[in-house]
Amino acid sequence: MRVVYRRAWYFLSFGAPGLLIYVCFVLVPILLSVGYSMTNYSLLRPGWTWVGLRNYELLLTDQAFLTSLRVTTILTVMVLVAPNLLGLAIAVLLDRRGWFYNAMRSVYFTPMVLSSVVVSVIWTRVLDDEGPLNQALRFLGVADPPGWLSDPDYALFSLGGIVSWQMLGFCVVVYLAGLQGVPNELAEAASIDGAGPWTRFRRITWPLLAPALTVNTVVLLITTFKIFDHVKVITNGGPGTGTTATVAFTIMQEGFVENHQGYASAMAVVMLVIIAVASVVALRVLQRREVQL
Amino acid sequence: MRRPLVTLAVTSVFFVPLYVALVNVVKPSALIPGAGAIALPIPPTLDNLSAVLTDPTNLFWASLANSVIVTTLSVIALTLLSAMLAHYLARTAGRWGRLITVLLLCGLMIPPQVILVPITQVLRAFGLMTTVQGLVLFNVGYYIPFGVFVFTGFLKGIPADLEEAAAIDGAGRGQAFWRIVFPLLRPATASVLIFLSVWIWNDFLSPLIILGPGQGTTVTTGIYRSLGQYSFDYGGVFALMFLSTLPVLIFYLALQKQFVKGLTGGATKG
Repeated sequence: MRVVYRRAWYFLSFGAPGLLIYVCFVLVPILLSVGYSMTNYSLLRPGWTWVGLRNYELLLTDQAFLTSLRVTTILTVMVLVAPNLLGLAIAVLLDRRGWFYNAMRSVYFTPMVLSSVVVSVIWTRVLDDEGPLNQALRFLGVADPPGWLSDPDYALFSLGGIVSWQMLGFCVVVYLAGLQGVPNELAEAASIDGAGPWTRFRRITWPLLAPALTVNTVVLLITTFKIFDHVKVITNGGPGTGTTATVAFTIMQEGFVENHQGYASAMAVVMLVIIAVASVVALRVLQRREVQL
Repeated sequence: MRRPLVTLAVTSVFFVPLYVALVNVVKPSALIPGAGAIALPIPPTLDNLSAVLTDPTNLFWASLANSVIVTTLSVIALTLLSAMLAHYLARTAGRWGRLITVLLLCGLMIPPQVILVPITQVLRAFGLMTTVQGLVLFNVGYYIPFGVFVFTGFLKGIPADLEEAAAIDGAGRGQAFWRIVFPLLRPATASVLIFLSVWIWNDFLSPLIILGPGQGTTVTTGIYRSLGQYSFDYGGVFALMFLSTLPVLIFYLALQKQFVKGLTGGATKG
């Protein structure tokens, strides 16, 4: 009896406080989201009716929602590829000792502590139609440089570039740590056996960086999927109709601007399912690669 | 010999936006639009900074106070609660412990947008919507999986015998934890403190929704509001951004080593 009492007290004092807040502010809201998604709940109207799966049916033909899925997919693919590739290249470049390389590293790390709002405002100036980038392009002889943020054909790609810039530092840190874990003896031995730099990278360094690739890819995936701040500050979903409206942005728009809380919840549930499946699949595939070594 | 030059060239390109962020703080607003964003600030001026610091609407100081309060309270509560919860999970074998761990792990990937609509209802039910306390509670719930995740990994390396020995000497479980185990968790505590401070300080969406337009701003929502308020005063916006980032930048420069160590903990374990 004393043991049971002590275990209960241990749970109540150590486990329960944190868990209770987590349950109230994360688990219950998720269940509420699922519940709301089957109603026509709106803050503008008292009461609500049960509508079953009607919201989900509407989503299937909702152009705005389908566009937001497309926008999010394009953004995610861009941000999965660019910071991973450039981050690896820069990490290889920076993988040397000394004050110079330390200083260079700090430059890449700085955007990690900047708020997305700050990053967004800076880039709005840089990519302005008459901004520094376009002036530089004109100087280089491009007669009619694109409106990076004002042209519907370019805005999404500019957004991808901005997010990639901000995430690059993270990938550099993680790859640098991975590179420092690659034993020099291996490269030297391969060198003696006549392997050139590319072969050494391809056969030794790259396979040993598998855990770093896993971390980067999963973090980039989860981060990009919920991109909201940059869209809100830079483009507000435009230019044109929803050309840069991500799923996360569209949910907030439906839930807090249009006040369609029920419908927004249905979108949220779909988003949750997609991100859960995507991260589990990514983790499985990438970790299998690690195990095979 | 080519490596330093290539490194310098690539890094300079990457640095351009950071240069823009710095240089426009001391440039007269009228010179910032268009290509002026990249020009050298000649002559430099402190007008932007002093205008923000003495702004009659008090946007900067009020936002700073809110951010300091929200970040400090959230991070202290998160560190204590997640260390205790992690201890409970690390010392509780069996299905019950595993179930809680899995539930918490799910929380690591949940986008805030998925839960914000119902969160506003939950907070309204408690009478905490548009309050600082509400925002702090949301932060604690949302980030506790991260804290638990970091602490649990660390706690596994600390033998339970240590606490049992203390218990024989007559210390209660709480005493044994705070006096003996918690000090040993210092590297994990550092990671949790650093990351959560930066994330919560920089968070934009939850203060935007939970504090709402009426109840003051944090630094991020303050900058967002200033975009409308000072729409052509770019110098003011850049000065506000600089001052709002300064605390977190100093924090980061001081703790850069731990910051990088914390980031790479998961990546190097093969």
